[in-house]
This record gives sequence, C-alpha cells and structure tokens, in this order.
Amino acid sequence: MRRLLIAVSIVAALFALAGPLHAGDIKPFARGSWSSILAAHAGEPLIVHLWGLTCGPCRSEMPAWGRLLAEKPDLPLVTIHTDLAQDELGAVESFLAKSGLLDAENWAFDDRFAERLRYEVDPKWQGEVPITFLISRSGAVRKIEGPADMAEITAWLANEKESLN
Amino acid sequence: MLRLLCAATLAGITISRAFAQMAHDHKEVETCTRLSPACANSVSPAFAPDGTLWIAARAGNRIFVAKSSDNGRSFGEPRVITPENVSLDRGADARPQILIDLAGRIIVAYATVRDKDFNGEVFYTRSADGGKTFAPPQPLTDDAASQRFPAMEIDSDGSIFAAWIDKRNRAAALAKGETYAGAGVAFAWSHDHGLRFTQASMALDQTCECCRLGIAFAGRGRPAVLFRNLFAQSVRDHAILTFEGPDKPGPVYRVSDDDWAINACPHHGPSLAIARGVYHVAWFTNGRARQGVFYARSADGGKTFSTPMPAGDPDRAPARPSLLYAAGRLWLAWKEFDGTVTTVKAMDSRDDGQHWGAARIIAETSEDSDHPILLRRGDEAFLSWQTRKEGYRLIKLESRS
Repeated sequence: MRRLLIAVSIVAALFALAGPLHAGDIKPFARGSWSSILAAHAGEPLIVHLWGLTCGPCRSEMPAWGRLLAEKPDLPLVTIHTDLAQDELGAVESFLAKSGLLDAENWAFDDRFAERLRYEVDPKWQGEVPITFLISRSGAVRKIEGPADMAEITAWLANEKESLN
Repeated sequence: MLRLLCAATLAGITISRAFAQMAHDHKEVETCTRLSPACANSVSPAFAPDGTLWIAARAGNRIFVAKSSDNGRSFGEPRVITPENVSLDRGADARPQILIDLAGRIIVAYATVRDKDFNGEVFYTRSADGGKTFAPPQPLTDDAASQRFPAMEIDSDGSIFAAWIDKRNRAAALAKGETYAGAGVAFAWSHDHGLRFTQASMALDQTCECCRLGIAFAGRGRPAVLFRNLFAQSVRDHAILTFEGPDKPGPVYRVSDDDWAINACPHHGPSLAIARGVYHVAWFTNGRARQGVFYARSADGGKTFSTPMPAGDPDRAPARPSLLYAAGRLWLAWKEFDGTVTTVKAMDSRDDGQHWGAARIIAETSEDSDHPILLRRGDEAFLSWQTRKEGYRLIKLESRS
C-alpha cells in the first residue's frame, strides 16, 4: 500500500512538474468551463477577469492585476482570454508573463462558438472587454465593465474576508 | 490521500487531452482541404448587375471571392485575393467589404494586422474582368498608423466612398505628449471605379476605435457616416455625420443618449439606410438608459432622431442589426441567442419606419454563425447568413404587411 502510494505520488509529482496543471499553463475555456470554474471555487470569494490581447484598455490594465497578485499571492484570481481573433496561446502566455500573471488561474476561449461561451458567463454580456466579475462567498455577483479600480477590488476582498470571521 | 493524488493525476490527463482535442476542433482559424463558403468565418455578399451573387469571404487568414448563379446554393471556384502569410483582422466586427458597380467591376477591401501590437492596415483590390482576375491588393492609404474597419459604398455617379477607423492623428498627438481619446474616422474617394483612391482625409477625431461604420448616401457627393462615438471621453453612444460636399464633413449629431459609459471595446457596429429623404439607423447598446438592439429615424437630414424603438426579445440577447430599404419597404433584421439556438428575425415597415409589422423568424442555427446581412436585388430583399452547421444561405424576404 505504502509502495503504491509512493508510486502514485511520483506520478503525480511528475505531472505537477511537467503536466498541464503546472502554474503558467492556460486552460482551454470551452462549453461547460464556466460552471466548472464556479464549482471549483464554490464557497470562496472569486475574482474573474475577462480580457483580450487585441483590446487596448485590457493591455493597459493587466499589469495592475499582476501587481495586485504580487502583493497578495493568495489572490483568488481567474483570468479568461476571450479574444478568438488572436487565439495563439503563445502570445497569450507571453503577455500574461509580461504582466506578472502566470501564477493566476488562466484560461483562454477555445471554441469558435464564442456567443455560447459568453452566454454561459452572463447572458447579457456581448463580449465587451475588459470585464470583471466579483463573486462573493454567497454567490452574489458584482460586474465591473471596463478597467477595474484595484482599491475597489482590495476593499471588496477585505470585506469578503471579514464576513467570514 | 491516495484518492486525492489519483484524482489530481486523472485531472491532469483529462485537461491535456481536452486541450489537444479542442485545438483541432474549434479553433477560429481552420484549415480547409478545399476552400469553400462552408469553411468561411465571415461572408459579405453583393449582387452583380446581371443578378448573379458574389461573396467576399474570410476563412482563417485568407480572403476569397466566389460567384453563385443559383442564389447561393452553389458557388464557382473561389479566388483567393490575399497574399500568402498575411495576418488578417479577425475581430468580431471585421469583415471583407465587396462592391460591384454597374459595369460589373468588383472592388474588395479588408484590414490586416501589421505588427505585434495589433495595429491594422487597410487594403483594396479590384477585378475589371468580371471576377476572372484581381489586381494585387494595395494599401488604401500610405500612413503608418493603425487603420481598421473599412466601409465602402458607390455614389450615384459611380464614385466610390471609403471610410475607416484611423489612428494617424492619435499617433501624432501622443508623439507630441498630448492626449487623444480613441481614434479618428478617415475617408477617401475613388473616381476611377476603384483603380486608385484619393489621399485620405480625416472626417473627425477622438471617436470609438473598435466598431465598424455604417455608410449611406444622403445625396450625390453627400455620404453619411454612422458610428459609435465617444462622448465625454468614455460614453460610447452613436452619432452621425453627413457630408456637405464630397470633401466637406458636416457637423456631428447624436443619435441617442443611451449612456453606455464603458472603457472597453464593444466590437458592435451600427447599420444605416437612407431612403425617400428619411434616415434609418439601428444599433446595439448596453447603456444605462437602454440595453439591446434599437431603431430610430430622422426626417430632418440626420439632425434629430425619433425615440429609440427596441427590436427583438430582450431576454434572448438581440444583436447585430442590419437595415435595408427595398421597393417601398424598410427591413430590419438582427440575431438573437438563447444559450443554445441562434435565431435571425426580421420585420418590415411600409411607412418609412413609423409603424412596423411583427418580427418573425427567418432562419436558425445551433452552432456558431456570422452576422446577418440584408441586401437588395432590384425590388427583392434578401437575408445573407453564414452559419457553421448549415453553410451559406441566401433567403428571400417576403413582406406580410
């Protein structure tokens, strides 16, 4: 049993080193991904930031998210790249790296039926980016259209943590 | 512990497999074994004087032109007009433009991405031999700043008016340390049927940089341009500008006060038609004042507009409006999505947009789709719609009012 456990641990460790779960990997956002993200983080405060490589305001904003993540390594941040017009993952990854966001949980739209992916996130959202969803422990959602104010994010997070105590 | 490790391992395998599969099945850029309208991402239609249908379509990083003599049921051999290894603007509101003049000359325009900062460049080409050959594409203007979203229409004297989003004045302002919001709208004319275009001029500055334009003629030499404007730096509501003469842009008038304050890119342009002296506009907004697709009319040359009228089911995400005037009827089409099915609906008015018949379903699909586009052949009105599952469809609209 112990031997088996060690063997499995080694396999798991190898996956952790080289496999797709390694920090910095970008996960494919497909049909059903939104509900799996919500399920994986259920009961915790969650920040979901949607952006695009070809979107000017997004490119200006991303380093601010990177700085916030550097200040708060436990920041519950999920980023989703939504720009099918520029879906080369290498470009997405290098921009995330440049913005200091490789350690966030990063996803990228990976289905050309983008309307369907957007609808799963929010039926009223027609794809304008940047957009940020602040999802409370209770499941309540606050939507921020356009670049977010990091002071507002920090305050929201502090309030979420306080509500737990 | 053991169970947890196994779960982690399995999750790793699942994700990597999912990634490999999706990278091949759903990527926006597809490799077609045989280039055809079926593998196009966006399709723009035009009728030739002899009634045949032509399309300019983008499939991945190629644009091709094809002809149909049976109303879009089948197409002849596609002709690729873009050079090898070009990176096209593949944004949600970018699409090739196609015009056919009375002599059957075919003019096509499109935008490329020219650097890693996603600056664009607008090109055009034409065929003077009925689509057999196309000239090598030429830049529409020789400026180095970003250009996107070309739009073109033919004036009654055969001149071609082209307008696009242009960042040359932004680049100049930033170089001087000044601020400049958004981008400008530039224009040029061709007086030789699309062989050459005049030097570009700016029609206006500091407007929204991320939406395609609507163009129609208020009279000879008097194009009107409908665009998403920037009011107070960040309110992205629609405005219209009518030229007083071919090179004299007139004043800008606001179409509606939707109060969509957003520092983001909607990638969702408007539609404009002018007929019997009335301006008809349709657009999408997600403003504080209203959300969805709206229609308004102006009987005073685009100075003031009627109260916006909503179109479509607000619970089914109405989007992508298209307007057309044909044979005394004004048509408005748009698409709706309920999370599974995408529907194109249309309605028509026989009194220049004052009263409308009921909206009805024209076509549906359950996979991804292009924007619906209305076009006219003589007195007939058609919907042109490219869908992934069904392929290209040209559907004649029959009035019931």
